[in-house]
Amino acid sequence: MDLKALKKQESKRKISKGYMWALFCAVFWGIWYLPGTVVWVLNPFDEMYLSIAKVSGDGVSLVVTAVLITAFNALTVMLALILWNGVLGKYGELGRTLKEFHPCSKWFFLASIFGGPIAILGSFIAMGFIGGAFAAVAALLYPVVGSILAYYWYGEKISKRAALGIGVIIIGGITIFGGGLLTELSSGTVPWIGYLGGLMAAAGWGIEGAIAGKGLDISEPDAGLTLRFLGENIIWWIIIIPLLALFGFPMYSFALQVFEPLTMLVLIFAGITFGFCYVCWYKSFPLIGVGRGQGIGNLYGMFAIIFIFLFFGDVPQWTILVGGTLCIIGSFVMFTEEASALETLRGE
Amino acid sequence: MTQTAAALAAYDAYWAKSFIPAADIMWMVLILILAVIALWQARTFVSEF
Repeated sequence: MDLKALKKQESKRKISKGYMWALFCAVFWGIWYLPGTVVWVLNPFDEMYLSIAKVSGDGVSLVVTAVLITAFNALTVMLALILWNGVLGKYGELGRTLKEFHPCSKWFFLASIFGGPIAILGSFIAMGFIGGAFAAVAALLYPVVGSILAYYWYGEKISKRAALGIGVIIIGGITIFGGGLLTELSSGTVPWIGYLGGLMAAAGWGIEGAIAGKGLDISEPDAGLTLRFLGENIIWWIIIIPLLALFGFPMYSFALQVFEPLTMLVLIFAGITFGFCYVCWYKSFPLIGVGRGQGIGNLYGMFAIIFIFLFFGDVPQWTILVGGTLCIIGSFVMFTEEASALETLRGE
Repeated sequence: MTQTAAALAAYDAYWAKSFIPAADIMWMVLILILAVIALWQARTFVSEF
């Protein structure tokens, strides 16, 4: 076999691994909705929600409770990533990446700002002030932001076929959540802060992906993502939660009540799914590019519906089945792209 | 703090309609299986590339 054929074979293997990681990301993201949903009814979060809602209203209560849940989620994600890095023998790499702040870790800390408080908080604001379906649809648009930014910032190529695939997956996602979206938007006056939350979610995750793509040029994803979550933990635990406590919300009293077996168990499984989802997302970027990685990652909407159907017994409506089919078609449009089109991910 | 009866009832209600037997346990088993597969794939990936 000549050098050219070997190179082509190697490139094909890398691309298939890239799609595999993006698909793993979508599966873990989808199954995260199980612990991510049930944790809300467990103590102390259910009592926290009721207690804040009495004083500040449902929307504010949802966002403040979500901050505490997200902060604990970030903590358990760190535990999951420590396990991940340990199994892969990456502790040395982790230390080296952390020490190299200027060339490496600054990108991941920056990514934690966009992916943490901006995207996650935005998503919860959209959910609290408009509804869950609107928040989900808004978040589905993040590959558009990510691919455009990666194109203009460091010239990441996005072929017509990949753009078509991303577009079909987004339309599929919108169809999945579309029924709920129409109900939510027609239910009365929609506050502007809800739309702002939706914009924060789409822009936050899109910008995070583009920044991560830049950081991953000079470091590797397992260590980089762990630093991204170190940054997110600092933001929640050292900045946002103390700030909310200063504003009079009972953050610490409820945080101390989390150490209950069932709540901890659910949070740990949320951490495993979210942490592994994110690390797979980051692993896909250097192999297939930010746009494709985010596009396939968007299949989480379809996987969430499947897992919710299997485990919660919620039978999906026909619009959801149509949306799911569109998501699968969009993925095949991307999977079946010629390997030669992905040999170089960046333009000249 | 322990879970209140209302919290436990709300938690159990989520799994009550499931098509999967012992769904309140099986979701965790499925996550563990997926996590082990992902870790195995990650180790293979590290050794291959």
